Amino acid sequence: MRENLFAGKNISVIKKAFREYYFNQSKAIEEPLKMEQREFGFAHFGQAGMLRHLSFKSMKELDAMLVREAPSDVYCSNAYYRIPTQQPMHEKQWLGADLIFDIDGKDLGMPCVPSHSYSVCINCGYASPPEKHKERSSYSCPSCGCKKADYVSIPCSKCIDGSKKEARRLVEFLLEDIGLEHSAIHVYFSGNNGFHVHINDDAFISLDPQARSDLVGYLSGTGLLLESIGLRKTNTEDLFSIKLPKSGLAFGWRRRIAEKLKIDMTSAIKLKNIVNQNGGYNAFKVELDRLARDMGVRIDPQVTTDVHRVFRMPGTLNSKSGLSKTKSSDLNSFDPFVDACLLGDGKVSVKVKTPVKLKLKRNSFNVSKESAEMPTYAAVYLMCKGLAEAN
Amino acid sequence: MAGSDLAKYPFLNEAGAYLRESNFGWEELDRPDMKHIIDRAAERIEIEVNGKIYDNLERYEIEILTFLISLVIVKSISIEQVLRKFALAEARRAEKFLTEDLRKQSEIKRRSVFTKIFEDLFKLRILVSEDQRLFKVRVIDYLARASHFNEQEWKLINRLVHNGYVYLDADETVRLIRNELAVLIYDKVRAMTLPTLPQGIKSRADELRLKFIPRYERRASAAVTDYPPCIKHALEVMNRGDNLPHSARVMLATYMLAIGKPVDEIVLMFENAPDFNEKITRYQVEHLAGMKGSHTKYSVPSCDKLRNENLCFATAECDTLINPIQFGRKKK
Repeated sequence: MRENLFAGKNISVIKKAFREYYFNQSKAIEEPLKMEQREFGFAHFGQAGMLRHLSFKSMKELDAMLVREAPSDVYCSNAYYRIPTQQPMHEKQWLGADLIFDIDGKDLGMPCVPSHSYSVCINCGYASPPEKHKERSSYSCPSCGCKKADYVSIPCSKCIDGSKKEARRLVEFLLEDIGLEHSAIHVYFSGNNGFHVHINDDAFISLDPQARSDLVGYLSGTGLLLESIGLRKTNTEDLFSIKLPKSGLAFGWRRRIAEKLKIDMTSAIKLKNIVNQNGGYNAFKVELDRLARDMGVRIDPQVTTDVHRVFRMPGTLNSKSGLSKTKSSDLNSFDPFVDACLLGDGKVSVKVKTPVKLKLKRNSFNVSKESAEMPTYAAVYLMCKGLAEAN
Repeated sequence: MAGSDLAKYPFLNEAGAYLRESNFGWEELDRPDMKHIIDRAAERIEIEVNGKIYDNLERYEIEILTFLISLVIVKSISIEQVLRKFALAEARRAEKFLTEDLRKQSEIKRRSVFTKIFEDLFKLRILVSEDQRLFKVRVIDYLARASHFNEQEWKLINRLVHNGYVYLDADETVRLIRNELAVLIYDKVRAMTLPTLPQGIKSRADELRLKFIPRYERRASAAVTDYPPCIKHALEVMNRGDNLPHSARVMLATYMLAIGKPVDEIVLMFENAPDFNEKITRYQVEHLAGMKGSHTKYSVPSCDKLRNENLCFATAECDTLINPIQFGRKKK
């Protein structure tokens, strides 16, 4: 229950920092295209759920609301509607939706995660340091005995590099295969542990969920048939023949697989041997599926196929970290812990629940004492993670 | 466009114009020498409703007229399934001819006439590949059409894709617009207002109607004999008390609703979930059933969608399925 993290004094400290950000950095918030056709949504500190179906005519109106309310999270629809405030959904009159992608660091299965994941009891908020080999199912809160915990991660540089690698791969697919212009692809750090990619190309806005799902399948390497690279199954169990595709192996997935298997249009016999070495048609089918998924991009299919989603708004703060959803024009040089860490430097006194290490704005914090005074951006980060409380 | 082309593609506006120019009038259909055209139209409908293609092209003037009369008869039969089958078969008929026309690589000029027609009609721009051997369409145009086809080979990942284009041969290119052709013909019939029909047409329409009615009476419902592997897997996870992702819960609930399980029973299936709350679960199941909220009844996610969400645990028995709901069903 994340809303339990935000209680009493924590809320007032975090809200103050968020409000200050929205007051000072209103230019960092990107105006969405056709703003009047978008649905907006907000979450508030300490409150479950989201307030949706809102509409703003101008950035001025939105900025004023952000400073007044200092919401925990701000969302804007990828969809365009004739009447964005109307309910139920179908009465909004859907006009189209931007194509969006979500790469979430927690879905990448990075081996380093257990070493920087803290358990926070959902009942009393007691935080325990990372325990590499402990099973989550055996969790028991040392303070209240509760069996359930939230696991919060302070992403390390390997995690961020893992997400960047996926984002780069996605951009490559979008440019080379899907034929998008570089200028239509906008990459953002999500504000916590991943990247969002927004596509600004009118041709894609009318695509229905099924078409988006097909595109997700392509990008994530799901559903590749052996026939696509020239294998034909014969009627007899596990036997096959090879007829390399007339249209060649030079592009798209065929190229990727051909390069991986080191085959070309003259390699029918070699391909046959590869299949046999892998244990025949059926076994190779499993292997090809694994290969393709490994080479594909790990995107959240739900996000891309949802044409009514409210998605975190660029330039706004993420309540899981206090970092901002920030545009990255160059993934190589982008450092989310510097470029997206935009809260103030004023001092805040906090009680840290468990020894913790982090690096923000190029400053390292290695806090082992219970009480500590630290800059707002670091204090808010730890409070948002549930690892500290305001004194 | 030549008259022979109009016989192949009689749904084009040019075919109507051709008839107008020839001063054709409805009253002529009561003439005894027109009976064979009405018979031919009836034959065309019967062949096509039975799933075959009527590919007669003997005399194009007659074929254009046959098409027009068959539209009138189908409208008069007024059975939805007959109209759908007829429209699809007519689309497949045009698809066959169009494929042949596109294959004539030596006749570049003719080929460009056809690609132009389909660009005008269906907003599908068909280009010839750099080496002249294939056609190419924009990824976006491909997705908008082929993502609704069920066969795995049509998934974008199984196509040659490069630089914003999908490369296709003539058959594949034309297959892309089959559904739109069918919709065009379907809409033509739906939009027609019937004049007082000549007796010859009316009696043939009545005959066909009586013939088709028993075929399209409500079919026996199907019984579920076994759960598909994706549902079995979700139930196993749930019964172990492990956390099942939201998308898997939606799949499980919509599946159970689709096979007619009562809401009470479905709610109890989620009892072992670590975060089980009966009130919330009931609301969510009722929401999916269309009883709450937007009153939209949610259908079971397709196998494609489940594959993308890593919720598919297909076995050999799933081979031809496109939705888990088809698994283990047999006609009573």
